[in-house]
Amino acid sequence: MSVICKDVKMAFKTAAGSVSVLKGVDFVAPAGMLTMLVGPSGCGKTTLISLIAGLLRGASGSMQVFGHEVSSMSASMLVPYRLKNIGFIFQQYNLLAGLTASENVAVPLVASGFDWPSALAKGKALLDTLGLGAHANKLPSQLSGGQQQRVAIARALVHSPKLLLCDEPTAALDGQAGQAVMTLLRDLAVAEDRAAIVVTHDPRVYSFADRVVHMEDGLISKVESVSSQKHPVDPHSTSH
Amino acid sequence: MNLVAFKILLHDKAKYVALVLGVSFATLLISQQSAIFHSLMHASTRDILEANQADIWVMKSSVETLDQGYPIAELSVNRVRSVPGVQWAVPYYQSTAQLRTEDGRMKLVQVIGIDDLSMVGAPQEMLIGTLDDFDQPDAIVMDIAGYTNIFPGVAPQVGAIVEIGQRRAVVVGICYIGASWSGMPRVYTRRSLGVSMARETLNPVTYVLARAASEHSPEEVAKQITKATGLKARTRAEFMDDTRTWILKYSGIAENFGITILMGVVIGVAIVGQTFYMFSVENLKQFATLKAIGINNWVILRMIMTQALFVSTIGYCLGIGAANLFFAMTSTQLSGGLRGMFMHPLIFVGSGIFIVLVTLLACVVSVRKVLTVDPAVVFRG
Ligand SMILES: Nc1ncnc2c1ncn2[C@@H]1O[C@H](COP(=O)(O)OP(=O)(O)OP(=O)(O)O)[C@@H](O)[C@H]1O
Ligand SMILES: [Mg+2]
Repeated sequence: MSVICKDVKMAFKTAAGSVSVLKGVDFVAPAGMLTMLVGPSGCGKTTLISLIAGLLRGASGSMQVFGHEVSSMSASMLVPYRLKNIGFIFQQYNLLAGLTASENVAVPLVASGFDWPSALAKGKALLDTLGLGAHANKLPSQLSGGQQQRVAIARALVHSPKLLLCDEPTAALDGQAGQAVMTLLRDLAVAEDRAAIVVTHDPRVYSFADRVVHMEDGLISKVESVSSQKHPVDPHSTSH
Repeated sequence: MNLVAFKILLHDKAKYVALVLGVSFATLLISQQSAIFHSLMHASTRDILEANQADIWVMKSSVETLDQGYPIAELSVNRVRSVPGVQWAVPYYQSTAQLRTEDGRMKLVQVIGIDDLSMVGAPQEMLIGTLDDFDQPDAIVMDIAGYTNIFPGVAPQVGAIVEIGQRRAVVVGICYIGASWSGMPRVYTRRSLGVSMARETLNPVTYVLARAASEHSPEEVAKQITKATGLKARTRAEFMDDTRTWILKYSGIAENFGITILMGVVIGVAIVGQTFYMFSVENLKQFATLKAIGINNWVILRMIMTQALFVSTIGYCLGIGAANLFFAMTSTQLSGGLRGMFMHPLIFVGSGIFIVLVTLLACVVSVRKVLTVDPAVVFRG
C-alpha cells in the first residue's frame, strides 16, 4: 500500500483561460521509502502534492492514498483525513509563532483529541529524542531556521501519519542545516508503513532519496532508484 | 485548541494591547457619554426628585416643563384639597430673582418657596443648619454649589447677608442639591418670603403639590383634579417625562450626545473591527497551516470567537472601570456640573452587550477571510 496516482490532470482557470498544469501524471510513492519529486520551477510539483493532500481539488484521474480515493472524498471528509494520515513540512516551517517548540509539536495531538498536558509531554519527549530537548521551551523566533525545520519535522510526525509531504524543506536553509534536516527526515520519516514524498530543487540532497521522480512540464519524465548504500547516514547527526 | 488561540492572541503584545485599548476606549466613550446624558436628563427633573413627598404636581395648563412654571391663584390650593382622593395639597413657589451680595455682586438665582407649615419640597440633605432654621427672620438656605459660586473661596458658613429682589436675606443653612438643568444657585426659603423676593403680588403659587390618598392611584386623582379645577395635574412620573421630553425637544442635547455616542460606536467599530481584521489577516498563514494540518472550520471559528470574547471582555472591563472611576471622582464633588452624575445599571449592561456585539461583528468579517483561506497557500512562500 502506498500513494498511487494514475493519469492525474489538473488545470487552473486564469484570466487568460484555462492553463493545464498536470497533463496525465502517473506517480507512485511506496511505503517504507523516501520518494523525491524533482523538476524545474513551475512544472507542477506543488500542485501534485497539494492534490494528494486534498488541499487542492478539481483534478481528474485517480489518487489512491493508502486505500483512500482522495478525489472522491467530500471537503468535510478531507479535514479528518489530513489530520489522521498526513504530516506536512513546509519551506517556511510555518510554526505557530506564539507557541513554544514543544507546544507546536503538540498541536496535531491536541487536534486529534489528546488533552493538552499529555500532548505536551509527548511533544517534549519527541524533541528530546531528536536532540532538541534544550529548545523545547523556546519560541520559534528564538530558534535558527534549521532548528525550526527540525521542530516542524517533529510536529509532522508526532501523530505517526502514514504519509509525509514535504515541499522544499531545505530551500530556506544553508547547506549544512539542510543536510542536518535531511538526515533527520531520513532517520525519522522512513518507516515500514509510511510513505514520504519530498519535493525539492536542491541537488545536494538527492542522495537522501530511495527514489527520485523527475517531473517536467506536467508530466513524469524519469524515475530513478537510488541504492540504499549511498545514503550518508550518520547516527550522531541528529545531535547538532 | 482554545489555549492555542490564546497563545496566538497574546503573542503579538503590541497588537493585543491595541485591540484591548480600542475596545476599552470605545466602551469608555459610549458608556460615559450615555451616563452623562442620562444624568443630565435626570438632573433636569431635580425639583421633582427633591420634593419626593408629592406624587401629583398641579400647574397652569400651559406649563410644559418644570423650570417654566407660571403663577396660579393661591385659591387653587384649596380647590385641589377639596378634590376627592387628595390626601393633602400644599403650595410650592418657584421663580428666578436677582441676588446681590454685600459687596455689590449680582447673581441670578433660583428661588424655591416651600410651604411654611408642611415643609414639603424642603432640602433633604442639610449640610449646615436644620429645617427649623427656616423659621428665623429673613432665612434662606443655599445649596453648597450655589454658595461656592456666589462666594468663591469662602468656606461654607451661615451668616452671610444678601439682598434678593431688594429684600434682605440671611443664609441660615447650607444644603446639598444634585445638579439641575439650569445650573443656577438655589435659594430655599419660606414661600411667603420667596414670594416677596420675587416681588410676586397676585398669584404667589407656582405649583400645587399633592398626594393621593392611599386607596387611590395618583393617575386617577390627577385626572379628577383636572376635571374639578381646570388646572393641569400630572403625576410625578408624568411630569418628569414632560420635562425630559421638553428638554430633548428644545435643547439639542439629544442630538449632541447622540452624535458623541454614535462617534463612540463608529470609533469602536472602526478600531476594534480594523485591528481585529488586521490581526486575523496577519495570522492568516497560521490559520491556513492549522487548516492544512486538519483542524476544521468549527474549531477555528471557536478559536477566533474565543480571542474576540477575551479581548472584548478585558477591554470592556477596563473601559467601564475607567468610566466609573471618572464618576466616582466627579460625582462626589459638592459643586460643579458633574456632581451626582452616575451610571445607570442599564448603561452598564447595554454597553457591555454592545461591545461584545461589535467585537463579534468584527470577528465575523475577519472570520470569513480565515474560513475561506485556501489551505493550499501553505505551500506557497
Ligand atoms: N492557484 C493557481 N492558479 C493559477 N495557476 C496556478 C495556481 N497554482 C499554480 N499555478 C500554476 O501552475 C504551475 C505549476 O505550479 P506549481 O506551484 O505546482 O509548480 P512547482 O513545480 O511547485 O514550482 P516551484 O518549483 O517553483 O515551486 C505554475 O505555472 C503556476 O503558475
Ligand atoms: Mg512548488
